[in-house]
Amino acid sequence: MRNIVIGQYLPGSGFFYKMDPRTKIMGVIIMMVAIFLLETIVQLAIALAIGIVLMILGRLSIIRIARGMRPLFVLLIFTFFFQILFNREGELYLQESMTVSLSSIGGIILLTIIWRLLARFKRFRFFLLLAYLVGIFFAFSLLTYGYTFTTFTFSIYERGVEMSVFVVIRLLVIITLSTILTLTTKPTDLTQGLESLLRPLKIIGIRSEDFALIISISLRYIPTILDEANKIMAAQASRGADFQQGKLKDKIRQIISLLVPMFIIAFKRSEDLADAMETRNFVPGMKRTRIHELAFNMTDAFASLFILCSLAASIVLRVL
Amino acid sequence: MSYIEIKDLSFSYTKKRQILKNIGINIEKGEWIAILGHNGSGKSTLAKTIVGLLEPGAGSITVDGIKLDQDTLQSVRRKIGIVFQNPDNQFVGVTVRDDIAFGMENLCVPKAEMLERIEYFATKVGMEKFLDKEPASLSGGQKQRVAIAGILAMQTEIMIFDEATSMLDPYARGDLMEHIKKLHNEGLTIIMITHEIEEALLADRLVIMKDGAIFADGPKEELLKKPDLFQGSALELPFSLRLANQLTGAGFEEVRGYLWESAFRK
Amino acid sequence: MGIRFQEVSFHYPQNQLTYYQAIANITLDIESKNEFICLVGRTGSGKSTLAQHMNALLLPTSGTLEIFGTKITAKRDKKTNYNSLRKHVGLVFQFPEYQLFEETVEKDIMFGPLNFHTGIDEAKEIARETLKLVGLDESYLNRNPFNLSGGEKKRVAIAGILAFDPDILVLDEPTSGLDPRGKTQMMELFKEIQDKTGKSIIIITHDMDLVYEHASRVVVLYDGELIYDESPKALFKREGLEKYHLQYPSPIRVLKDLKERFDLDLDIYQRNLSDAVTALKRAVK
Ligand SMILES: Nc1ncnc2c1ncn2[C@@H]1O[C@H](COP(=O)(O)OP(=O)(O)OP(=O)(O)O)[C@@H](O)[C@H]1O
Ligand SMILES: Nc1ncnc2c1ncn2[C@@H]1O[C@H](COP(=O)(O)OP(=O)(O)OP(=O)(O)O)[C@@H](O)[C@H]1O
Ligand SMILES: [Mg+2]
Ligand SMILES: [Mg+2]
Repeated sequence: MRNIVIGQYLPGSGFFYKMDPRTKIMGVIIMMVAIFLLETIVQLAIALAIGIVLMILGRLSIIRIARGMRPLFVLLIFTFFFQILFNREGELYLQESMTVSLSSIGGIILLTIIWRLLARFKRFRFFLLLAYLVGIFFAFSLLTYGYTFTTFTFSIYERGVEMSVFVVIRLLVIITLSTILTLTTKPTDLTQGLESLLRPLKIIGIRSEDFALIISISLRYIPTILDEANKIMAAQASRGADFQQGKLKDKIRQIISLLVPMFIIAFKRSEDLADAMETRNFVPGMKRTRIHELAFNMTDAFASLFILCSLAASIVLRVL
Repeated sequence: MSYIEIKDLSFSYTKKRQILKNIGINIEKGEWIAILGHNGSGKSTLAKTIVGLLEPGAGSITVDGIKLDQDTLQSVRRKIGIVFQNPDNQFVGVTVRDDIAFGMENLCVPKAEMLERIEYFATKVGMEKFLDKEPASLSGGQKQRVAIAGILAMQTEIMIFDEATSMLDPYARGDLMEHIKKLHNEGLTIIMITHEIEEALLADRLVIMKDGAIFADGPKEELLKKPDLFQGSALELPFSLRLANQLTGAGFEEVRGYLWESAFRK
Repeated sequence: MGIRFQEVSFHYPQNQLTYYQAIANITLDIESKNEFICLVGRTGSGKSTLAQHMNALLLPTSGTLEIFGTKITAKRDKKTNYNSLRKHVGLVFQFPEYQLFEETVEKDIMFGPLNFHTGIDEAKEIARETLKLVGLDESYLNRNPFNLSGGEKKRVAIAGILAFDPDILVLDEPTSGLDPRGKTQMMELFKEIQDKTGKSIIIITHDMDLVYEHASRVVVLYDGELIYDESPKALFKREGLEKYHLQYPSPIRVLKDLKERFDLDLDIYQRNLSDAVTALKRAVK
């Protein structure tokens, strides 16, 4: 939990921190559009590479960001297999008829046991998972003995492989972009930026302050809730309920015993926070001065130039 | 009419138990009072009613001639700054700097002055090196200091400190008290809730609470002469006075006199 | 046995690339029996960080830490049974709010015992008894711990650790927020527990009177480093502790003042009120 960085702000220096939040918000939106315009894996890979170079230049710790995004890898892997399995365009790469039979199920159970036994060699975790999946594939295709429940065809097409790689890289780029935004922009600045950007909406009668306040309070709460979760976990651990230990059953029980108090405490915290804000004279919608005034500076100018160039480049690539 | 008037104030969280019972306190402008009392005697509850976070069941609170109710809440709050007992509940900003600024932003202090005050008060509480840190990742005492700086920076006319220094080391506390004394000399009205008798003795007047009611209220010189009062409310006299009280009999007059005198030396 | 620190350092991740070193090169041996250690040092000197190492809530960045014979390394080790370590070492947090999480006081106090395989009826009984020990009556059992006053929360937090009867008690500022009588009673309770069971007790505090009166050993931290580890007697005989933002205990301060003012032949190093009275009476006569 401690390492989750989605939606969190981490203090630091480097040019991302110096940029106006408005530039960053608009930048992320435009860059996303640009990314969606790209059509080939090569183009996307180049975009990803540029992104990584920018992160290095901006002195962000890539390892820490990657580690923090780990929960999202599940999503990425899921997307990957979804694409591979269900995209049926292009040249056929592989076709196998699969049998769900007593023997194949037995084989899979055996494989699963072996896999879990070997899982303690952490270093080969990824390799093992891969081997396990390949094993399942062969079990279904080769073990046809015994009572057969059903059969189906497993096929991989050219587009499936392409798309799965493509979609995964695209997702990765998009996640990275938004992570950079939230990681380097204080929630308060983000709100202020949004408020300023949404101001034109006044014409159609939407008050940008209210909108921004809702967003900022939600953002303010992500770290608070994570914080609370960490605290409760520490409290429980120090009284003999270490989350990261024990069998799956224990873990599930402990997650439940974490969730209930987390909500109660988070709720209580939100009341306390509201009290603190009120007693320090905060009144929603009232005029207030700001310690960080939004200012467009040289970094922003360069960044905008860069963003617009990227957009132009991807439009050109698309049209050509 | 007194500057702050609390009249017949009663309050209960639940129907079962009354927490505050007919509290009456008058505080003059520029006065420094210390509120003492056992755990659960209602000190924090009283503080929260004064800033209008809890609505009294009966009785009234008047600040500077304004009677506290829903309509006047905001204007009364502008006069009062409160440091809560648990500093964690107090942090609004993501960095120490932003947090100290928060109150001032709401009071529409111009930016240049805000930056000046942040620098000044952060230095006053010894947190100038931590301005860019997140409040959540500070030590206990550091959190308390930031909470205090955020309120001092608002420069309100009245300040309430609810055990605001309970985790500070004696030196940090001493430095802070020096500053508060200075503000007091400039006319600040102070309500200080504390369990530290040494800290309470900086005040002019002590209010002792017991089981939700006022148990004693008066100038400290007077109250300190009645040890049973302290005994009866879970309190303890400062070491020098306990020592003086033990030195009964002839031959000790001079020492006793000196100990009494030194207990009040600010 | 007990807890053994060898050149332990710890740093908190701070921002993108930097770390904040909270304790540095701490070498410290804590016996599992009969120690009464006070851990002191100014605000931010690393006391709480050190305390959280004692039950392996924080893992040292470098150096070796051994808790009841188990080596604690920088990385969580699958083979280490952290839960059993926590049965050995109970830690009361500095802020009670960090520790309370159940809906009722009773459940909160029972949480530890239940995890350490105490039966439910017995755990209930324990909750009742420990609550009494910390000075709260039975009517608190069904209260919500978040709706208590600051000092009441502190007491419940302490009860929650006492309840599972750890071998070593680590208490982070257990007396802050308690009223003076509660403070005295709490210290008496700790003393009594030690006398009866021989548990080691480690207390973090800013209250030097308490240190002087109760501790058998003081450990002083300053900017994350351990600078003194000796008896309170030896420590407070030293000159110039102000340098480390340490205050002398009231008996020493008051008696010293008297000694200078009245030019008395007085031993100022008295650990409590009655000793101070006796010494003073002798000197004045
Ligand atoms: N939110 C709440 N709901 C119900 N009862 C409460 C609540 N908050 C406090 N109480 C009860 O009201 C009484 C007074 O609490 P209060 O916090 O005012 O005490 P206090 O004098 O500040 O004590 P301390 O010195 O421990 O901080 C306590 O007995 C407490 O249990
Ligand atoms: N979670 C954290 N992240 C980053 N830095 C931290 C964190 N917790 C503490 N620190 C820093 O580590 C240093 C030591 O903190 P620690 O809490 O151990 O101090 P302490 O001696 O307990 O102080 P106090 O008496 O104020 O409680 C402090 O300077 C603090 O700012
Ligand atoms: Mg209180
Ligand atoms: Mg601490």
